[in-house]
Amino acid sequence: MNILTGIIYLIVAPFAGGLLAGIDRKITARMQGRQGPPILQPFYDVAKLFTKQNAVVNASQNVFIFFYLFFNVFTGFLFFSGQDVLLVTFALTLSGIFLVLCAYTVNSPFSSMGASRELAQIMSYEPAVMLSAVGFYMVKDSFSVAEIVGGNLPNVIYLPGVFAVFLYILTIKLRKSPFDISTSHHAHQEIVKGVTTEISGPSLGIIEITHWYETILIWGFVYLFFGFDSVWSLPIFAVAFVIIFLMEILIDNSSARVKWQGMFKTSWFLTATIAFLNLLVISIFM
Amino acid sequence: MGFAEFTKTAVRNLFSKPATKNYPKVKKEFFENARGHVIFDETDCIYCSLCARKCPADAIKVDRNAKTWSIVRAGCVQCSNCVDACPKKCLSMGPEYTPVMTEKGCETYARVPDNTEDN
Amino acid sequence: MSRRSIVPFGPQHPVLPEPIHLDLVLEDERVVEAIPSIGFVHRGLEKLVEKREYTEYVYVAERICGICSFQHGSGYCQAVEAIMNVEIPPRAEFLRTIWAELSRMHSHLLWLGLLADAFGFESLFMQCWRLRERVLDIFEMTTGGRVIFSVCKVGGVRRDISSDDMKRIITVLDTIVADLKDFERVFFDNNTVKSRLCGVGVLSKEKILELGAVGPVARGSGIKLDMRKLGYAAYDKIPQVEPIIETAGDCYARCLVRLRELYQSVEIIKAAASTMPEGEISVKVTGNPNGEFFSRVEQPRGEASYYVRGNGTKFLERFRVRTPTFANLGALLATLPGCDLADVPMLVLTIDPCISCTER
Repeated sequence: MNILTGIIYLIVAPFAGGLLAGIDRKITARMQGRQGPPILQPFYDVAKLFTKQNAVVNASQNVFIFFYLFFNVFTGFLFFSGQDVLLVTFALTLSGIFLVLCAYTVNSPFSSMGASRELAQIMSYEPAVMLSAVGFYMVKDSFSVAEIVGGNLPNVIYLPGVFAVFLYILTIKLRKSPFDISTSHHAHQEIVKGVTTEISGPSLGIIEITHWYETILIWGFVYLFFGFDSVWSLPIFAVAFVIIFLMEILIDNSSARVKWQGMFKTSWFLTATIAFLNLLVISIFM
Repeated sequence: MGFAEFTKTAVRNLFSKPATKNYPKVKKEFFENARGHVIFDETDCIYCSLCARKCPADAIKVDRNAKTWSIVRAGCVQCSNCVDACPKKCLSMGPEYTPVMTEKGCETYARVPDNTEDN
Repeated sequence: MSRRSIVPFGPQHPVLPEPIHLDLVLEDERVVEAIPSIGFVHRGLEKLVEKREYTEYVYVAERICGICSFQHGSGYCQAVEAIMNVEIPPRAEFLRTIWAELSRMHSHLLWLGLLADAFGFESLFMQCWRLRERVLDIFEMTTGGRVIFSVCKVGGVRRDISSDDMKRIITVLDTIVADLKDFERVFFDNNTVKSRLCGVGVLSKEKILELGAVGPVARGSGIKLDMRKLGYAAYDKIPQVEPIIETAGDCYARCLVRLRELYQSVEIIKAAASTMPEGEISVKVTGNPNGEFFSRVEQPRGEASYYVRGNGTKFLERFRVRTPTFANLGALLATLPGCDLADVPMLVLTIDPCISCTER
């Protein structure tokens, strides 16, 4: 874990993220009994977005979108070059806040509704992410990503409860049903497309690319639970990744969208019980 | 009460053939009886314009003097009322749908002149 | 006092399939007032009756709406036949019943899909519409049209269903029932679905009676209201026509009513197919209608009534339709204030609005 892996992330992440999105769409389509688009469809979509006219509702939205991208990429760079995991969580939240601000500036009722829901979403998943960081510190005595993925055993052995809750909020982070509340992958809800309703053309393209970066970062975060000093850590993670990825798609396809109140209550409840108890047990025995 | 009611269906869908077709390459087969478009056969037509009068959408126009029969394909509602009304049975319904068009043009069938000098 | 904002909902909105416009006055996410405006798809079809011969107006009446098209045609024909004292052959009555019930199935399957889409369950939506596709194929096979059949005419029907086709239809219906049984539990039991439907938009029996709602909306609140009990077409000869009711009066109850009606429709079609007499499918109609008549039919969305007045010429004088959605709009507006914005799509959908019917 050094500057080099960070730079590799900067270059590879958008392609890997886009490819994941494409595979996701294909599997989703097949689960719905459709043929589905080609795997590379997300790239075609974004390429097309960049050929469109850049219709901007409010000039300040460009600034916010830029910072959204910038902080996302910056966070990912920090993460993959093995820096402080606390800084990573906060910087990622900051990036999310810029998206919310962008949604508020365009002054559309759908967008602002989506922005308030996005805030509710951030509030729902943030405690679990924090507790994960705390858990890593308790297990590995360090907030540094490089050291968290070291050690003799993967973190998930010590933190099964935290990991379970993290999986729960992963659905929120990946914007999947039942928690695709502030914005969904397609503009098909009562607030149209929520935060990104009024964003179009190249701006939307940038947001899509940012999503790809973010997806890879999120999966990197999942790796924190599996990484340890062994050649086995990557294969174990690969298996876990495939299972979790398929489960996410399956859950996405077999549930309705719940209301934000439900999401908020359940995620906080789970964080306060399972994740917290897990940490309590660790603090007693370690 | 549960969360996994749809998973069985979703997994089954995942491993079975998709229900959709790769459309422009794989064409849909039309039912034999489908009312797709009106076919005009001019050989017996006497240009009585009964079909035009019976058309609820006013899509058919017949010119008795010029001996032309024309139809606005985009206006036709495929009710086949003209087919029933035709006394000479020179109208029928074909199963293929009217193809997509870029202009709502009027299709005109003029009587082919019988071996006149300039033909 | 929180800040009020107005969210425009429709006439073009991703979860709203129909062109109705609602100005939702919101306090945060709570709806305090809903101001409807309609009139986006008025086509003047009632006036057109003066310009079309009464026999060919059937094809116009059918096009009042794409989903309950067959019932519009048969309701109009019933009225004209009653004025002219035309007795249609029994086989035609049974055929009308079969097509009407198939229409109900395709409408309810469409509706289930739309509801699933409104609460963000895309895969369920596609599953429902895939079943509907089979019903549409039956239509295309027997009538020639997928959505608008043009098989009803004054004096009977224009096409017959052969006994071979009838057998094929029953087979298809059996596969539909089997597949429906497979995923109906999603509507019945799934937690996320129930969290969106149960207790949302409750309408008591008294409220329904006061608002004059019809169809599945009324039946979801425990009112036995079903025009098929009048025994028009061949419904008087089929014992399975017993109104399906639920008592809760919320979105969930209205959903259950429609789901159960799907099975009922299959039963009715099977019963009709087995008792259908052989014979003519239409009688020749001569003369022109002179007089007036009100006919009532049960559409998938509820009771529709047709008023027809003829004056002895081949052009009718007046044609008027009271569509079920018009009766149910009151129920919708009664449930909207006080609900969450996220519930609005459920509320709008559970009355199953058909604005194109309502505005004609």
